[in-house]
Amino acid sequence: MEGMSYLAIAYFGMLVAIALWTYTVVQRSRRLSQRIEALEGAITGRFESE
Amino acid sequence: MKQRVSEGLLFLGFTGIASTLLLALLWAPSVSLEAFESPAAQRIFYWHVPAAWAAFIAFGALFIGSAGWLFKRSEVMWRLHTAGAEAGLATGLMTVWSGCVWGAAEWGTPWDWTDVRLNTFGLLTLLAVYLVLGRSSQPDGVETRDTFAAFGLYGFVLVPLTYVATRIWSIRHPGPVVGTGDEGSINGDMGLVLLLGALSFTVFIIGHIMNSMHVTSLEQRLERLQATMDKVI
Repeated sequence: MEGMSYLAIAYFGMLVAIALWTYTVVQRSRRLSQRIEALEGAITGRFESE
Repeated sequence: MKQRVSEGLLFLGFTGIASTLLLALLWAPSVSLEAFESPAAQRIFYWHVPAAWAAFIAFGALFIGSAGWLFKRSEVMWRLHTAGAEAGLATGLMTVWSGCVWGAAEWGTPWDWTDVRLNTFGLLTLLAVYLVLGRSSQPDGVETRDTFAAFGLYGFVLVPLTYVATRIWSIRHPGPVVGTGDEGSINGDMGLVLLLGALSFTVFIIGHIMNSMHVTSLEQRLERLQATMDKVI
């Protein structure tokens, strides 16, 4: 039973690790999209004001 | 649209991986006590083998991306190269780490420097470390891309070498359990859980590769926009 407890902990640790990895990749993509939108907005605004 | 598809695949793959681990822990049959030093640790195999399979898919993507960049100068292929390197690093680390956990329980040591498969796979993971860290520390340019793509192209030779290693040199790593031509050493229920794991990891890694390619394209677009902004200012 002790072995199974260690295994359950190892499995849980690995699942948390890939969940974190996935979260960082998805967040990176969303952050970049927001920055692009902000930059595009700034460039468009500048051209319109000129 | 592509972003939604990749996130959907990531979610589906992750759910499948979690289900595989639950089944491996609660449903998959136990192995015989005589065959293993640590029968409970054997269940790490349901993570280790699909992760190694996903690593081979990632390194395959790295190879195609590297060749595509070197021979076609294709931006899409460069994105595939970077996505393959990142996915190869993550899945390589998952495989190495789970293997070390099993080795420590079964062999009494997490690593064996004399085993060919362990070391060729370790080198593959180090190649991915080099490519990921190298790209983030070097300025983007044709020469840099050529160097990394050459490493991705020639480094792929380690994939078939790792695959055949236990067939040629039986040192410490267990031999193949599927695709051996005979009945193999896993029964029906074990095979089912392993298959679910392999499918889930495949879906998951495809989602990751698509998402990473999207991130690289966003980074490139952002660089172009910043250059435009600099000119405007």
